[in-house]
Amino acid sequence: MVVQSTNGRFDVGLQSRTSMAAPLLSLVDVEVRRGMSVVLTGFNLEVASKDVVVLHGKNGAGKSTVIESCARLLPLEKGSVHHHGSLVVDSEGRRALAKQPFGLTLQSNGLLGDETIENHLTTVCSLSGMKTDILPILDAYGLAHRSSDRIGQLSGGQARKVAVIAGLLPAMLSPQPRLILLDEPDSGLDEDALAALISDIGQLREAGHAFVIASHHPEMMKCATRLHDLESETNQEQPKCQPWKAVGTQENVSLLSSRTGHRYLRSTRAGIARNGIAALLVLGTLLAFIDPINLEKNMLVGFILAAPFAAGLAGDPVVYLMREHRAVDWWRAHVNRLPAADFFAPVLGFTLSALGCFLFLDSFNWKLSLIGAGVLWITLLCVRFIELSTMRLARPNAVFIRLLLPILILPWALVVEYLGTL
Amino acid sequence: MCLGIGFAGIMSTLFLGLNWAPSVSINAFESPAAQRIFYWHVPSAWAAFIAFGVLFTGSALWFFKRSPLGWRLHVAGAEASLACGLMAVWSGCVWGAAEWGTPWDWTDVRLNTFGLLTLLALFLVLGRQSQPDGVETRDTFSTFGLYGFILVPLTYVATRIWQIRHPGPVIAAGDDGGSLQSSMALVLLIGALSFTIFIIGHMMISMRITHLEQRLEQAQKSLDGGN
Repeated sequence: MVVQSTNGRFDVGLQSRTSMAAPLLSLVDVEVRRGMSVVLTGFNLEVASKDVVVLHGKNGAGKSTVIESCARLLPLEKGSVHHHGSLVVDSEGRRALAKQPFGLTLQSNGLLGDETIENHLTTVCSLSGMKTDILPILDAYGLAHRSSDRIGQLSGGQARKVAVIAGLLPAMLSPQPRLILLDEPDSGLDEDALAALISDIGQLREAGHAFVIASHHPEMMKCATRLHDLESETNQEQPKCQPWKAVGTQENVSLLSSRTGHRYLRSTRAGIARNGIAALLVLGTLLAFIDPINLEKNMLVGFILAAPFAAGLAGDPVVYLMREHRAVDWWRAHVNRLPAADFFAPVLGFTLSALGCFLFLDSFNWKLSLIGAGVLWITLLCVRFIELSTMRLARPNAVFIRLLLPILILPWALVVEYLGTL
Repeated sequence: MCLGIGFAGIMSTLFLGLNWAPSVSINAFESPAAQRIFYWHVPSAWAAFIAFGVLFTGSALWFFKRSPLGWRLHVAGAEASLACGLMAVWSGCVWGAAEWGTPWDWTDVRLNTFGLLTLLALFLVLGRQSQPDGVETRDTFSTFGLYGFILVPLTYVATRIWQIRHPGPVIAAGDDGGSLQSSMALVLLIGALSFTIFIIGHMMISMRITHLEQRLEQAQKSLDGGN
């Protein structure tokens, strides 16, 4: 089927729209700009249960833009995106979490190098509110023996397999129809893994799940029920096969360890390496030049709170880690609140202030230690907010965001001055 | 044209401020000679506020209307804000070092908010140069331009609410104002007008350059076969 075009707007999937009450995905009159170009305009797409829509076409045609728009990663100039009939993003700036879990594999893997395969896939299961034994799934892709390895230790192809499995998992776990978005899932996969992927897509389709896949690969195009070049669409018949049997069991697993960044910070020690070291350097520098015995009261308070303040200015270590392979985007698609070092920050602040108290006052002061915890946490929150504000840029690391951090010195100085008067 | 007139006016202000305007009372200032930097400091700060206003207007026009003119105003406003902000901060530091014995006070609200506005302008100018032009870049920097403008009224009222080190207003001071002698006010007025004309000329040229940059980029895209 293809394909009516009205005023440059392509309306596809008409058959499924009329036959299915609630499509798993619908894009309505979507317009997206990237750079100075309008990549999609007046774009409509409906994906129903058992659809496998493969987006193909030349580079820059907008395949990844469709996937990322569906995952609510891109702001829309016009139109709206709905999952299971509920709005997830629109051009008015409304963003809502998808009510049903969905699978996502981005063009970049979206994986943190310091996570183990098992940890990452367990997190994906937790986001779906399910649990399962992941070893049989890993085994199908030749990764069972690496389940406890860190993703950073894997080859590029192996890491890609993990990203693809993470994308498929929500459908593999659930007996209910799930939406799966895969951007170039075949890139870097060997023949066996590609065969396993195509087989899984077929079985999952038979079980009622739906796919939107961006790919040029001929084998991937063969497994499509609808081939879409972003302008027109053709339908393909697929042979019947054994439907996938859902492997997940319902369990609400707490994501606290991931959400507070504890899991990432424990394995990387990035919090100590970035924030802790910065604070200790400040303390060391102060002690190298100044004798605490001769200091006035407000100066002493300033010196004690300088270390947690410096640690806060170093930024959120979890956000820093998540810049790797667009992990931050993967998380942003699935949750409204990104993992952050909200637990680590006050603990480090308390510890550094207590250390400062011992060094400058020769005794422990719990009030100053608590204030130090607050100083570090609030500073970290502000730095995180400023840093995340620039994440949408093409080169977020190149922007001089730290020029704005002196905004925090005035409130810190006022707090120190106030505490000095007490 | 504007740049030339403005520049001549600024030079005249400097000459009049240094040679013609009367000296202030030696009892009122720690360093009366340094006070003459006031004829540079206040007009440059005034021009900076005009530039911040243009930056805000441009940011709002781009963010809400997607207006290309708005983006050009944003770019011109950011560059002019940086130039005038640096002039005001630098002259303030020189004056502060002579008058207060310290060039900067981290607990003074006026100093810090104005310094931050200047840093924001620096961030916008350097940031724009580090990014490819596109809606992502324009949206992000326009948002910073909009939020940054909160600091403008805060900077304006800072010395009225929390006068810590920076002196209170000399212009639009309400009932307490009018303390300037007429000759001092005249030099200050010439300075304010000159800086205003200069900054308008600067922004017009900057907008023209941005427009030409956009045309060049469009032409390059056409050569690349894009739209």
